[in-house]
Amino acid sequence: MTTDTSRTHTGRADDEPPLFGEGSRFHSFFDDPRWALAIIRATVLEAAHPQIGAALIDNSTFVAHPWRRLRNTFLSMRRMYSGDPAVREREAARLNRLHARMSGADSRGRPYDAMDRATRAWVVATLFESAVTMCRLSGQPLEQDTMERMYDEYRAFLAALDGDAGELPESVQDFWTYFDRVVEDELEDTEAARIILYRLFDHLPAPALLGGAPTLWAAGRAVAGPLFGAITVASLPEPYRRRAGLPEMPGAETLMRGAYLAAGLARFLPEGWLDAEKVVELLTLSPTGDDPRARTVAALRGRMEQAAALLRLITPLGGVPGPAPAGARGSRRPAEEFFRQVLDQTGDGHLDWPDLAAMARELSTRLDLEEPEETRLYDAFAAWWRELQDALDTDGDGRVSAAEYAAAVPSMAGPALIRVAEVLFDATDKDGNGTIDADEYRELFRTAFHRDLATGDSAYGRSAFVGDFVSFMSGGRTSAPYDPVFTDS
Amino acid sequence: MPRHVACVMDGNGRWAQRRSLPRTAGHRAAEATVIEIIETARSAGVEWLTLYAFSTENWNRPGTEVDYLMGLVRRVVRKHAPLLLARGIRCRFLGVTDPRIPRELAQDFDDLTTLTDGNRGMTLTVAFDHGGRRDIVEAARSLIRSGKRADEVTEHLFAQHLPFPDTPDVDLVIRTSGEQRISNFMLWKVAYAEWTFPDVLWPDFRAPDFLACLHTYRRRDRRFGTVPPRTNGDPR
Repeated sequence: MTTDTSRTHTGRADDEPPLFGEGSRFHSFFDDPRWALAIIRATVLEAAHPQIGAALIDNSTFVAHPWRRLRNTFLSMRRMYSGDPAVREREAARLNRLHARMSGADSRGRPYDAMDRATRAWVVATLFESAVTMCRLSGQPLEQDTMERMYDEYRAFLAALDGDAGELPESVQDFWTYFDRVVEDELEDTEAARIILYRLFDHLPAPALLGGAPTLWAAGRAVAGPLFGAITVASLPEPYRRRAGLPEMPGAETLMRGAYLAAGLARFLPEGWLDAEKVVELLTLSPTGDDPRARTVAALRGRMEQAAALLRLITPLGGVPGPAPAGARGSRRPAEEFFRQVLDQTGDGHLDWPDLAAMARELSTRLDLEEPEETRLYDAFAAWWRELQDALDTDGDGRVSAAEYAAAVPSMAGPALIRVAEVLFDATDKDGNGTIDADEYRELFRTAFHRDLATGDSAYGRSAFVGDFVSFMSGGRTSAPYDPVFTDS
Repeated sequence: MPRHVACVMDGNGRWAQRRSLPRTAGHRAAEATVIEIIETARSAGVEWLTLYAFSTENWNRPGTEVDYLMGLVRRVVRKHAPLLLARGIRCRFLGVTDPRIPRELAQDFDDLTTLTDGNRGMTLTVAFDHGGRRDIVEAARSLIRSGKRADEVTEHLFAQHLPFPDTPDVDLVIRTSGEQRISNFMLWKVAYAEWTFPDVLWPDFRAPDFLACLHTYRRRDRRFGTVPPRTNGDPR
């Protein structure tokens, strides 16, 4: 096993392209629009694995915050395939820490563990297989030696995460046997796979930039959602479709091939026209940010809003207007909304430990925390969860429902939450002088919240910081800095 | 020429009563005047026009009249939105905080504001559910929240906390129907305003009457508290 990794790292001739970084096969897929379709397919195959499916259902924020999740995944992949070994090692360590915190049991009581080696190998296998399939489906199949080199890259990826790639067969030929066996024997019709296929696209929230045009977004989604679902279903391996009872719709096959073919045509575009990083950045841009592109899009959105306003104004009045009162305006948001936007990170309608873990994960990713700060943050969130459970879980089912939360909003601000804020403050206060000075403050917001602050000459004291954070998390007061972290979809 | 003209649209009810019509008929008749005055003011070169449509005290009127007014305003806003957009008039609504305002109406106000936000012609401010004292109280609250020290507060700073701080002081207030009261209207902004009180009721108020008021204003000697300049010839 270990000999294999040494081969991938050192035993190559100098003129061969590197396994990582610029020039690798994987790198060239980054800007390929086919990859968007292939990634969805790979995710469904991943989620169809009972262990991964259970872990996704319990821990992942992809239903409630898909765009944020996409961005995080994209950046992580980019770091994993960076040419710089130090960046790779750091990212691998971060991913391992992150996954080490995910374990539990699925709805049938079977345990799962995100560190399980065979399961992790399957994730890499689906990525490789989807990349190969995407080339096949778009009518540009890979040459045998290209495929072999790409397989080496994916094994190296797994090795970087796991130490070695022993869970994946050594050669591509053996890989197909392995892949078919897993598809035939292990994949199931998991809830997570169904959610990705049928619920995710139908309920996909608008990315932040289009948040102001909900009608437009909903209309586009109503057409594109089922289309993406059908394309993905048609591209899945036949044995799995049969097993999971997925529909075979007439024309779906043609549609799927057409979509892959059309996406494949992008190779005729001039170099540099498609840049996945730009697309991902754009999708997760906050319209209130300082980025000039955000301003352009915001201007465009302004035009759309005006058009929508005109449309609403000139549509003839229907019926007698009801005496419904105007919604509560102001800076306090209703408890229900706060629960949905901020607390329920996994979008399952309940507040549970994975929701708070997702918040801790998001904060530690954004702040780029290392050990031991990361563990301190998780511990603080865990303590807060226990506090919440004690205070709010009145029916004793181990989780907090929206109704239980609404009934007991004020008791949110306990000592454990204050502890969370303090840990966060300490992580930001790098020089440990008890205040976040202007530089640290700016740094916090630039790295963590992607915005530049106009103000910032005055130091931010510990108590002020803790006060702001606690009032955001407990009172549900909207707050410019914290909102984008937890609410952006 | 006054930069900022405000109209207190008074006399709709009396106009209707004189014709033995229900008060609501007077409000309906006011619509034509509103449109005519907006157009006249724009072509006369007035940059800011404010119309006092509904005060915080007007909520005390009979429920049916209030309901009728809400429906009427909604119809007027929707009917004239394209015209206002085409004429380059920027519209906005001062007040509009009361929860009794129907949600649809508030939505229409927002829409009209969004729609005409880019216009750079005349700015039309419609004071709806407006009270001058309330605005001052709100400004004081916002000032306190901003954490300024007491001796830092100046008139200029205070004005920054009023709604629509970009609005200049009112130069001329026209109150129709001969009533001579301020009625809690933009108290801060009318500090140095000239007032005219034409005897006409608002539904009868027409373009010539409006121009006559502008003419009256031009003949006024605005001193802002100082003495008139000693000149032998033409004072202006």
